Amino acid sequence: MARRLLQVVPAAAGIVTLAFVLVHAAPGEPVLALAGEFGDAAYYDDMRARFGLDRPVPERLLTYFARVLQGDFGISYVHGRPAMDVILERLPATLLLTIAALVLSTALGLGLGTLAAVRRGGIADLGVSALVLGLFAAPVFWLGQLAILGLAYALGWFPVQGMTTPGSDATGLARLADVARHLVLPATVLASQQLAAVARLTRTGLAHELESDHVRAARGKGLPERVVVLRHGLRRALLPVVTVVGARVGFLLSGAVVVEVVFAWPGIGRLMLSSLAARDLPVLMGLFFIVAFTVLIANLLTDLLYARLDPRIRYG
Amino acid sequence: MRRPNLPLGPIALALLAAGPLLGCAGEAGTVLGRPGVLVVGLTDDPGHLNPAITTQGGVHTAATVLYNGLVGLTPELEPTPELAASWEIENGGRLYRFRLRDGVTWHDGQPFTSADVDYTVERVLLEYHARARASLGTVLDSVATPDPLTVEFHFRSPYAPLLQQLNVHEAPILPRHLFEGSDPLTNPATRAPVGTGPFRFDAHVPDVEIRYVANRAYFKPGLPRLERIVMRVIPDAGNQVLALEAGEVDWLFGVPGPEQERLARGGFDLVRSGYAAGGSNCIMTLSYNLDRPVFADPRTRRAIAHGIDRRQVLERILFGEGRVADAPISSGISFAHAQGLALPEHDRAEAVRLLGEVGWRLERGAEVRRARSVPGVPDGTPLRIEFVHFPVYASYARLLRAQLTAIGIDFVSRPLEPAVFVEAVFRQRDFDMNIVSYCNMTDPEVGVRRMYVSSNIAPVPFSNASAYRNATVDSLFDAARSTVDRAARGRAYGRLQEILVEELPYFWLVETLSTRAHNPRCKDFLVYGQFAEAATCGG
Repeated sequence: MARRLLQVVPAAAGIVTLAFVLVHAAPGEPVLALAGEFGDAAYYDDMRARFGLDRPVPERLLTYFARVLQGDFGISYVHGRPAMDVILERLPATLLLTIAALVLSTALGLGLGTLAAVRRGGIADLGVSALVLGLFAAPVFWLGQLAILGLAYALGWFPVQGMTTPGSDATGLARLADVARHLVLPATVLASQQLAAVARLTRTGLAHELESDHVRAARGKGLPERVVVLRHGLRRALLPVVTVVGARVGFLLSGAVVVEVVFAWPGIGRLMLSSLAARDLPVLMGLFFIVAFTVLIANLLTDLLYARLDPRIRYG
Repeated sequence: MRRPNLPLGPIALALLAAGPLLGCAGEAGTVLGRPGVLVVGLTDDPGHLNPAITTQGGVHTAATVLYNGLVGLTPELEPTPELAASWEIENGGRLYRFRLRDGVTWHDGQPFTSADVDYTVERVLLEYHARARASLGTVLDSVATPDPLTVEFHFRSPYAPLLQQLNVHEAPILPRHLFEGSDPLTNPATRAPVGTGPFRFDAHVPDVEIRYVANRAYFKPGLPRLERIVMRVIPDAGNQVLALEAGEVDWLFGVPGPEQERLARGGFDLVRSGYAAGGSNCIMTLSYNLDRPVFADPRTRRAIAHGIDRRQVLERILFGEGRVADAPISSGISFAHAQGLALPEHDRAEAVRLLGEVGWRLERGAEVRRARSVPGVPDGTPLRIEFVHFPVYASYARLLRAQLTAIGIDFVSRPLEPAVFVEAVFRQRDFDMNIVSYCNMTDPEVGVRRMYVSSNIAPVPFSNASAYRNATVDSLFDAARSTVDRAARGRAYGRLQEILVEELPYFWLVETLSTRAHNPRCKDFLVYGQFAEAATCGG
């Protein structure tokens, strides 16, 4: 366990180093974000020197790591303040969106997968299979736009854009309800592909388990079918599902980039896109750090959960 | 097989009901549709709200309502009193003396004085505002403040365009008492600003919205009329339009061409103008890389110009929003815009004739011309043009490819995101042709000179992309800058435009307009400067 935890540190360092090299090797420099248009050459040189952009990449990488170890992720070129402050004030929005999507996709995926497995070959199975195949194939941005046009614009059930109502000073429960109302569409759209994957895996795994000897034995003991399915079938069928849910945290975060742009959701996905366009390197590197760390932790938690679900698995 | 008795029906019903129920909940505290409140759509979060340290359009769009310049500008670019009540020009344009308004206060109640102007110009604009630094920085000798209500700009040589450079976009005035002795890039007032403008800063929720409240101590009597402005960040232009139609915003700074007719049919008001906070009087311009032998002969450049149907560009790409350019300087700067120039019109036969004359021959059965005795180009070289552009200009690339392929040019487009485009074009000079929206701004000295003078061939974004050199043109720009008499300036600009049209270092496609749209419950917007200063919104 301790060894698994320790592996996170070099893995995160490796990812950040690779990201640093890739970002700095990519063409384009942040001069427009720093200085705007119309300047003279001396002005641009001044700005490069002020932010250390005139130094060789290896030197910048060492400086960067030295600062990160002291908790300093640099000053954003666009926002003019500490990069990590810029990231952390947007992180809660992304966490809310991705956790909501993860819960929604897992709950609905398990439900739909179970329904399809227990009614294998029936209309419910066919309907669920068609639905999840459709969701899996549909691009997230297209689904998002469709949801906005249909459920927000045409039916008026949900707001078209944003995380809160414009200018709202609501607090407490009213604010919670306001955010929840804005959250429904983006979380559902972000959950769609994950839901499809969970439902497919659950259906396949559970259908296989329901044919197995231990389930037959459970039925033979006269246990109610609900107990047979949920306790004896689903528990074993969950193993691959847990793996997929954990592994797809990274996919959810990358999907959040698109969903946040489509729904004007103020999270780190949008920040990543705008920082990439502006070559706001301190913010980009901070984002890579946060995302890499999140994915690594999610995978670690998946491994631990896996061991809990299957006692045969142990991490030494 | 037995089937479990799962409560599927109630679960499904609950899921179906949750959406609409949540949809109806939680609108407490909304300002939508409330009288006196304007909700504006922004494409990007500006990051900060200090327009004196950047020329980024997003910052200027969001921050203009907070500040003032010494002068305002009419749509005809004539200066009007703003923080300066009056002014005099002396010594043939070497001295500008401004008398400031008495009684103007900052949003924090401190008095506005000439010391604020001196500090802003010398310590902030000349150091951080790229346009001010590049133009004023080379000619301004000093700023003097004989008394708290008088400011003098002393120039080393006569300087004509100053009054067009002192509006809120080119020279917003900052409060010295909050900035002095600090780094303006990190000063707290850069993010929580204090200005003299019609609205005061209230709050900034990053990537969500910026809130402003009316400045009841504004120096213009009876203004502003609105109580509040909320600027919402909505990145996608199409979704901005949907938000306008759904009543979630009242005002958009830009509307894509295909959406405009629908909005007009829906009763929304559209306002078209060549002015925008981030850049005014813009011309979509093709640059030829004059460092490359293929463009050394002006007849090749002219042939390409003849091969392009600019009317199609206007109609198919811009949906008629603009006008075909008829001079290198925008018609929005009327005193400098040359009349009666003969820009190459679409004439495929003439294009083919000129290419053949230069030595670009089309063999029987071939689709691409090859060089035969073209100076500097090995015989047999195909006429292949690599065209670099921002991804948003892909429609220009497609149309130009169709038009130029028809005259035997192998036209290859290379879309590059802005940061990479700047590096490829202005640092590495790795392109044959490109397209840039060059904004002429409020005076040719600010937005036109940079494209043509030989001293501006440098690794600087949006400078002289073609690497054009002409000593006469250089001296005409210098003459126009130092001639206060506007008619004489106009003549200098007219002469240099004749030379440019003759030599065609660039080709000017279309003058673009931007279209704003607003809910009809709101009215009395200004196109120039303080757009919401006199606006009202009903219930």
